[in-house]
Amino acid sequence: MKQLFNCAMSIGEEMLISGAEVHRVEESIRLMCERFGAKRVDVFIITSSMVATLYTKEGDSFTETRRISTISNNFEKLHRLNQLSRNICSSNLTAEEIKIMFEKAINCKTYSFIVECIFYAIIASAFTLFFGGNIIESVISFITGAIVRLGILFFEKTVGNNIFTKFLAMVIAASLSFTALKIGLVSSVDKLIIGNIMTLIPGVGLTNALRDLFTGDSIAGILRTISAVLTALAIAAGYFLVTILGGFLI
Amino acid sequence: MTNNEILQVITGFIGSMGFAVLYNIRGKRLIFAGLGGFLSWGLFVILNKIIPNEAVNYFLVAFVISVYAEIMARILKTPTTTFITTSLIPLIPGSSLYYTMAYAFENDFERFLQKGAYTLQLSSALALGIIVATTLTKLINNLLNTKNKL
Repeated sequence: MKQLFNCAMSIGEEMLISGAEVHRVEESIRLMCERFGAKRVDVFIITSSMVATLYTKEGDSFTETRRISTISNNFEKLHRLNQLSRNICSSNLTAEEIKIMFEKAINCKTYSFIVECIFYAIIASAFTLFFGGNIIESVISFITGAIVRLGILFFEKTVGNNIFTKFLAMVIAASLSFTALKIGLVSSVDKLIIGNIMTLIPGVGLTNALRDLFTGDSIAGILRTISAVLTALAIAAGYFLVTILGGFLI
Repeated sequence: MTNNEILQVITGFIGSMGFAVLYNIRGKRLIFAGLGGFLSWGLFVILNKIIPNEAVNYFLVAFVISVYAEIMARILKTPTTTFITTSLIPLIPGSSLYYTMAYAFENDFERFLQKGAYTLQLSSALALGIIVATTLTKLINNLLNTKNKL
């Protein structure tokens, strides 16, 4: 029983890290434990911590806590874990079988960094066109986007702090855009910066925050909202810093 | 539709698809995530011709797309987040957010307030659409669950 409970917690933890809503994770852990034959399960999850206690019919109880540090969106992994938890609920699997399937699910394929970099650049250039930029601006946006992604990789390794990484990413994006303006490639930086804002903005964070808030997980929702707002402010701060410096230099 | 609108729908689709790749969505789900982005901006452009109020249209599109996400999630047996986050990407008011910042920097308070209020209006409409759809889904789920238990 303890082994099975441990598996359920690991699945829940990985689901939360891959970007699942709190409600879904709590529900999955509860259903899995009920399938294992628990009398009662109490699960409490916020974005940075998980606590669950399982009460068996024999009168024992197990408690586990998990600390969650970073949440990144990996919906393929989430999909596989979700399938696994459904499987567990519909068939009798042993702890060993679950562990093998769990390992398989978390080691799913991810796109290589180069592909990610290219798509980052494509998003930036697509949104430059979307908001009314011309072809030249879109090409510059493409290059800026790719460099920003490289910058983010570097800062994630060295700085680690998500909000500060976004700030520095915006600094890079804005400085490159102002450089393009200085060289005379474009007549205004507006569309270039807008394209890059779209890749950095915490739209997903805010969407998840709202969904958490209104499915009854107020604390997790509030935490997510705060982090989304702080990220947006960090992006604005990055832009301001470059414009002030740019004002001195140009 | 004007050329500009067609370009927007196409780039909106590419943008959504790009985010879907960044979030490591694969296979059939990748196509439907991108399609969501295409639908959301396409619907917005069409609604704009009928209702001359962008905030109302944002709300309507957010609501319809959330419902689309819930339905697709049930068909493809995957969490709703997969579709809701990617499909609504083109609606994020990145442009007006940028101009709000730019006007704040230029000390142009009249335009700053105007743009800021507009950004806030659009994002609240977007949020409200998602909230109404989420609450409605929860309600329907609860009703179905109680029906099964009876």
